[in-house]
Amino acid sequence: MAAATRQAASFPGPERSQIAFSDVTLALGGKIIIENISLDVKPGEFFCIVGASGCGKTTALRLAAGLYQPTGGTVTFDGKPMLAPRRDIAIVFQDYGKALLPWRTAAGNVSLALEASGIAASQRAARIDGLLKKVGLPDHAGKYPAEMSGGMQQRLQIARCLAQEPKALLMDEPFGALDAMTRQGLQDEVLALVRASDATVIFVTHDLEEAIYLGDRVIGLSPHPGRIGIELRIDLPRPRDQLRTRENPEFLRLRRELFDFIKAPEK
Amino acid sequence: MIPERAKALLLPVAALVVLELWACAIHLQSDSLAPPSAIAAALVEAVHDGSILIATRDTLISAFAGLLIGGAIGLAFGIALGIFHIFDRLMEVTIEAIRPIPSIALLPIALIALGFGYRMEIVIVAFACIWPILILSRAAVGGIEPRLIEVSRALRLSPADRVRKIIIPAALPRIFLAFRLAAGIALIVAVTVEIAINPIGLGAGIMTAQQALRPDLMLAYLLWIGAVGYLLNTGLVVAQNHLFGRAALVGDPA
Amino acid sequence: MNRAVFYWRAASLAVAAGFIGLWQVVANLRLVSPVFLPGPDRAWASLLRGFESGDLWGKLEGTLAHMAYGWFVASIAGIALGAMIGSSRTMRSYVAPSLEFLRPLPVSAIIPVAIAMLGLTQSMALFVIAFGAIWPMLLATIHGFAAVEPRLYEVARSLHMSRTAVIFKIALPSASPDILSGMRLSLTVALILSVVCEILAGLDGLGHWVLLSARSFRSADLFAGVILLGVIGYLTALAMSVVEKRLLRWRSSGH
Repeated sequence: MAAATRQAASFPGPERSQIAFSDVTLALGGKIIIENISLDVKPGEFFCIVGASGCGKTTALRLAAGLYQPTGGTVTFDGKPMLAPRRDIAIVFQDYGKALLPWRTAAGNVSLALEASGIAASQRAARIDGLLKKVGLPDHAGKYPAEMSGGMQQRLQIARCLAQEPKALLMDEPFGALDAMTRQGLQDEVLALVRASDATVIFVTHDLEEAIYLGDRVIGLSPHPGRIGIELRIDLPRPRDQLRTRENPEFLRLRRELFDFIKAPEK
Repeated sequence: MIPERAKALLLPVAALVVLELWACAIHLQSDSLAPPSAIAAALVEAVHDGSILIATRDTLISAFAGLLIGGAIGLAFGIALGIFHIFDRLMEVTIEAIRPIPSIALLPIALIALGFGYRMEIVIVAFACIWPILILSRAAVGGIEPRLIEVSRALRLSPADRVRKIIIPAALPRIFLAFRLAAGIALIVAVTVEIAINPIGLGAGIMTAQQALRPDLMLAYLLWIGAVGYLLNTGLVVAQNHLFGRAALVGDPA
Repeated sequence: MNRAVFYWRAASLAVAAGFIGLWQVVANLRLVSPVFLPGPDRAWASLLRGFESGDLWGKLEGTLAHMAYGWFVASIAGIALGAMIGSSRTMRSYVAPSLEFLRPLPVSAIIPVAIAMLGLTQSMALFVIAFGAIWPMLLATIHGFAAVEPRLYEVARSLHMSRTAVIFKIALPSASPDILSGMRLSLTVALILSVVCEILAGLDGLGHWVLLSARSFRSADLFAGVILLGVIGYLTALAMSVVEKRLLRWRSSGH
């Protein structure tokens, strides 16, 4: 169980880190959710967090987002402590239905982010068009979220997040509520969007294959309390491909390693 | 951490204390306001000499009689409309035409037909209670899980049996809820009729107190009316939870 | 409106007309004394007379003015207060229980207090109507603001939305279904209290008209007034539901 004792997940390297956890602990209501987590996400990196239910991966994401404050240790972004959510960090929530404004159309929802950034009304329309096109919803500007499928709603949320021109994209099991085919399509779309925008991504998922497929690095948390139990460097070629990458022997090896970690008995 | 209960009481208690101190400080002499201590004293006296109790009895009699009569009519119609959709669609215009008439508008009609007293008040309360019970029991019957109706057909129940054994028990929790809401309406309408014109009950009591320039008694009646309304509602909520538990909220039989 | 709906409506209208016919028969046969029950023909004649002479217009305007004033004041105050109380958990825990206690209180019981303070005047009526109409608005608004999806507040934090923006772009639209249903109830309360106050204080309005007609045993005028009150109730409810449908378009779309 050598991997289980590894607490820190940082690689020596000349690049500075963008998002860093330094010995972070979070206790809520008397229970320690995550303990002594240290990690280092480089700018532009696609960083995945996996783990069984209840291991604290969503908590870690919310700490990175500034929605929670750590009980111990510090969370920093570009060297500065995260005391509150930042406008240039966008969060994609799993429950897209609850994160969209049902009374606004798709265009209206994207507009919300632009309005908050103070973009003048005259410029908004063009940007909204561009963003909706980017996520593949060009003809749905006038639809209400309730009129759109789950996959479309999640894309809309991503469009709104991209409207923030984020330096970092934090995604909390964004495809968990969708069917397998929609999920695969969105995985590739996200990869394309992220490559085009150079944003750093922290991606939380319970789907191990998804994490390996998407990420540059994957960490696995072991539960109760959440600690980093394993870290894998994903050296698979980019751009990733749903068929070729998933058949790659290296992919299968990584998958095996991750599966073994999750299945291993605790402590 | 202040417990929730204490928080809830903080505002009213503080208000009472402040009012009491203020009234004493300025030696309040007014036709419309009285210090809480005087209100309490007037209330005790009114209970002691029975006047407020008689008034309560009168109001409650009218309210309940009206509730039962209006409720029975509303229930019968509501169930019939819920079961027979043809009947429902044919009666739509008639119901939508009569429903918006405010019950208080019937007051003069009832007055000339029946004069002052219980009967006129009961008629108005009954009219007011018909509508919420009709609408809600119609919805309750209409909202019965279709699966249950299929079961009743598979079991070949007679129409009377179907109503008795499936429809009424399934709709009962929401029908009880309808009566609970109507009870509140009954009390409000009864008191309103008494305030407007009828010389019996709590409404008449509070008006008399005001006309006699006794703000302490008037406000005592006001408090008492509020307490009666609150107790009535709470009592019915307790009964509802006791009889139906979760079922009243979910809408299917437990 | 498709064919089937149209035909059912027509049939329903025919049934209603049938009831009116029945009413006419009962009146003609004098099964109930015409002092109490005029036939629909006499009620209708009285309506026409009243409007031609301008009397009923004045009364109608009186009642509508009372309603409108009270309802407006109540809406603005109710929404503002409700927004304040509903969006703050601290305020809710201190204030909401007292409001729940006051909810079943017959609001007409405030009338004697208002009379004591302001006499049998127009101001008394306006105070009572506004006071009565505020309650459904206040309680519904508090509920609407308290029930805003917390996830949306997190989105607002993430976007660094200003406090005003959060209130007007997130909380208010989210609470709008509740606020609109509160407004509908407020209208009903405003109508009832207008009538009661007009009866009590002799103010110009349909309530007063109806009472006078009753006292002079002019049953046709009485029924004309009652019908008009029903029409007010119906039209205001209709207006509200049209407004609701437009503002809440997003609710009915999709599932």
